[in-house]
Amino acid sequence: MSRQERAPRAVVAAFALAVLAAVGYALSYAFDLGTQFLGATLGGAFLAVAIGLALWSSRVEEQEPEYVEERELSASPGRQWSAFEEALTTQPVPRVKVLWSMFGLAVAAIGGSLLFPLRSMWTRHDISPDIRLSRTSWSRGRALVTEEGIRIRPEDLDFGGVLPAFPEDDDLTNVDAATMLVRVRPQELELPPERRQWVVDGVVAYSRLCTHAGCPVGLYADQYAELLCPCHHSVFDALRGALPVSGPAARPLPQLPIGRDGDGFLVALGDFTEPTGAGWWGYDA
Amino acid sequence: MAYPTPSPSRPRRRRAAEGIFVLALLAIALALTTVAWDGDAESPPSQTVAAAQAVAASTQDQFQDGERVFLRDCAFCHGDEGEGSERGPSLEEAGPAAAHFQLTTGRMPLRSEEDEPEPGPPAYPPQTIDALVTYVGTLGRGPEVPEVLQGDAARGRTLFLYNCAPCHSSSGTGMILPAGDVAPELSDSTLTQVAEAVRLGPGSMPPFSERHLDKEQVDAIATYVQQLDQDQNPGGHPLDWIGPIYEGSVAWLLALPLLVLVIRLLGRRAPARRPGSKEGP
Amino acid sequence: MRMVLRGLRRFDERLPIASMGRSALAKVFPDHWSFMLGEIALYSFMILVGTGVYLSLFFEPTTAERLYTGSYEPLRGELLSGAYASTVELSWDVRGGLLMRQAHHWAAHIFIGAIVLHLARIYFTGMFRKPREPNWTVGVTMLLLAMLNAFAGYSLPDDLLSGTGLHIFYSVTLSIPVVGAWLAFLVFGGDFPGTAIIERLYVGHILLIPVLIGVLISVHLFFVIRQKHTHFAGPGRSNANVVGSRMYPTYTLRTLSLLFFVAATVFLLGAFVQINPVWIFGEFETATILSPSVADWYVGWIEGALRLFPPLEFTVFGYLIANQFWAGIALPLATVAMLYAWPFVDRKITGDRGTHHVTGRPRDCPLRTAIGVAVLTFYTLLVCAAGQEMLVQYFGWSIGTVRAVLRVLVLVLPVINGMIAYVLARALLRSEKEGVLALSRKDLMLSWRADRRRVEPMEGQSPRPRTDDEERGLHPAETTPEEPERDLSEVPSWIRSSRTGGRTE
Repeated sequence: MSRQERAPRAVVAAFALAVLAAVGYALSYAFDLGTQFLGATLGGAFLAVAIGLALWSSRVEEQEPEYVEERELSASPGRQWSAFEEALTTQPVPRVKVLWSMFGLAVAAIGGSLLFPLRSMWTRHDISPDIRLSRTSWSRGRALVTEEGIRIRPEDLDFGGVLPAFPEDDDLTNVDAATMLVRVRPQELELPPERRQWVVDGVVAYSRLCTHAGCPVGLYADQYAELLCPCHHSVFDALRGALPVSGPAARPLPQLPIGRDGDGFLVALGDFTEPTGAGWWGYDA
Repeated sequence: MAYPTPSPSRPRRRRAAEGIFVLALLAIALALTTVAWDGDAESPPSQTVAAAQAVAASTQDQFQDGERVFLRDCAFCHGDEGEGSERGPSLEEAGPAAAHFQLTTGRMPLRSEEDEPEPGPPAYPPQTIDALVTYVGTLGRGPEVPEVLQGDAARGRTLFLYNCAPCHSSSGTGMILPAGDVAPELSDSTLTQVAEAVRLGPGSMPPFSERHLDKEQVDAIATYVQQLDQDQNPGGHPLDWIGPIYEGSVAWLLALPLLVLVIRLLGRRAPARRPGSKEGP
Repeated sequence: MRMVLRGLRRFDERLPIASMGRSALAKVFPDHWSFMLGEIALYSFMILVGTGVYLSLFFEPTTAERLYTGSYEPLRGELLSGAYASTVELSWDVRGGLLMRQAHHWAAHIFIGAIVLHLARIYFTGMFRKPREPNWTVGVTMLLLAMLNAFAGYSLPDDLLSGTGLHIFYSVTLSIPVVGAWLAFLVFGGDFPGTAIIERLYVGHILLIPVLIGVLISVHLFFVIRQKHTHFAGPGRSNANVVGSRMYPTYTLRTLSLLFFVAATVFLLGAFVQINPVWIFGEFETATILSPSVADWYVGWIEGALRLFPPLEFTVFGYLIANQFWAGIALPLATVAMLYAWPFVDRKITGDRGTHHVTGRPRDCPLRTAIGVAVLTFYTLLVCAAGQEMLVQYFGWSIGTVRAVLRVLVLVLPVINGMIAYVLARALLRSEKEGVLALSRKDLMLSWRADRRRVEPMEGQSPRPRTDDEERGLHPAETTPEEPERDLSEVPSWIRSSRTGGRTE
């Protein structure tokens, strides 16, 4: 059999296969056979059509020669252009330039004033961003709790242990207040003197937000007492006031002054030492 | 009107192209089925070490057996009495839980003292491990192998996301830590091993005390980790649950090359540049 | 066929289309395979719209929490945001939903990937030059919109991975000098996570950006139709014509075949390769995270830059220029500026002001090719930096070591690769050999010493007499040539074709 007769048969077969696959898709759906059956039949149908068309196309191409199409090379011919230019520039109104300028100004004014409602996108606009970003919900005496809302004693952590902590009765989405408790052996700590009394039985509290791009610094390697941010791999030394050791972060994690209340639970002694999370233009330590 | 130009070499080339087409399609089919099979071929979790076996009563036989293996395989580093040496730490505060964890996850014994403990298949059969665990328990004081019950997986999920996911990933696939360490994959872990790791904090892992995560919470976490191992891949090959890195690799190493191959076959190469010169392939 | 024709005829009685239709059917498409890269992007966009419409029937764009009651066991009975809950339901309970969701995501990868390949093809063949600078601009805009929309779509499910991405986006926005904090608060409706970001991204993702892309595709194609395709040089090919297959029947069959191949690839991947399993990643909780936390590759280059940039931070008059500004804002802005400006920069460098319709080869302008290779190397390395975790696992090095190596490579390798590309391009140009593998050592040595003037202008690109016409067209005051009369009942002159192949016979 010659090729000329054979090829169309393959095309027909491919399209027929596509019909079968499409029916298979419908059945897969009807009988709920799952994603793989659905996808295999639908993808298979597309594939069969694609192959059919490709074979068909190659058959057509064998008999089709190359074609040449001329291209208009130049810009608009001069006369057309001058006619256009004339139509655009000839106006009977005097002092046209002033009118157009004033029109432009009016449109710009309307456009500019229409930007004002965008301010409504900021729904909680009671205080300025600089102040909002500089403070968290921590205050003197506020208890530290786990994500389940349970108060924390320093002994709850083993040496080398970590625990995410939040202000009591706070919204968990107030992420700037999220805190990382780390318990280390007190003698290993190298903190500046004024921060030494913020350590309770070896428990130190740092902001949980990376000072680089604000990701939660959730990883802690007990052996090295290092905190790691998984986003951009900044590493902070938990023994030395969470100074950045490597990676892109340039500032240490802010420390939360903590103490113990009468019942032995951890409470904050104030807000963080610096604004938490990423830096911004108005950042002021 | 468009005029044709003759191009006598076309049919030959087309025929070759069709052949390549079929090959390409086979390749696609093969690639996809391999991918699909990989997904199905994920072996079920190895349940070779059951917690019950590990906490079996210590008979005199076991004790002697354990001592024999200990002196043969462990004492070189940990000392004859488990007192430790410059090659390995003391086991006086290790206890059965640590022994069970280290042995069942294949971290111990090390091939040589320079090696880092790495998870793998256990080196001993379960009976020997039981015997060693019992024996190590007699060397000093340390936590017992915890008894883990099925817990509240939903609560475990939340606890896992806050306490474990940062290092092990929400999927339990494990990921890198500072200083070249790796938080291991959790998929093959048993309930007991999870509970032991939470308490002991092996390697770089911080330990979690009874007061931070109580028994019920640890049961919940362990149960959730077990659930993670069940089939949760309705979408096909799981790509290790790593996410964007592997997805992007599939896009750039499989999907786009495939489509470039398709257009290469559908289209043609550039013609020879100068009249008279040999035409390109 | 007769039925179709009769229907068309009826239509033609109301709106005459025969002349336009005739020219459309005879439009010539070049046969070279690389001209179909853009079509892959076009077809994946069509699939994106189709699957996306289906997804929008089930997705709830809200962060308001509700009870999840679907069939995914570990989440049942949890209070979850509507966006996350509905995405999980869409994946586990809507029959066919997961296939559509995965196909949508895979199509997005292929869409942007094909645009990048298409852009690279245009770049290395120099086809952004006059008269195609405007269309280059349109294309670059579409690439940016596509990346933006993909990021928005990636963020919609409100899962732990995408929420982390939004947190980084927020922090990067904060770092914009002067207005950063205000801008971030406007976009998020307050400080992170705000109240409205999912809803806002949704409007952008399903309405604003797709419509914009759709409009720009029309503009892009209008340019292609009006200016006609470029083609590679060859016998009988010149600036004044385009040689290839006719729109109908040859090219129609070929391109339809490609459409179905793209669809097959997307849906087969959607069926067999799981993508973005958000039920495993977990819902977004602001205070926790998973590792690796990595973005998709099309924003991964920014992520990689954020990882590699040194810990540099300083104040200007008491105001902080935060670290993430450089990698997160300055680099993307520079990238965008570079892409838009390239045709004009290229014109300055090469002094090439001519009109080009004959596709250049990468070797024809070694300097441009070298710059292109260097730039591609740079961004590829940044994407690799976003996958550092894999390098750490593979090589067993520490993160610090991998980062240090990448910091060096990202600065050095582009230069080396660019130099290699330069030498190879010159050697190829000089020797006129088929490909890199055909080059001999002598070719390479000679190319190194070769005189710049050795570089010949490409065939069909030499100064053409038509340039004067163009000049005249732009300066109508000087001369006004006769405009040829057009018989509108006939085929318009711009599709009139002539026999040229015979010349070589």
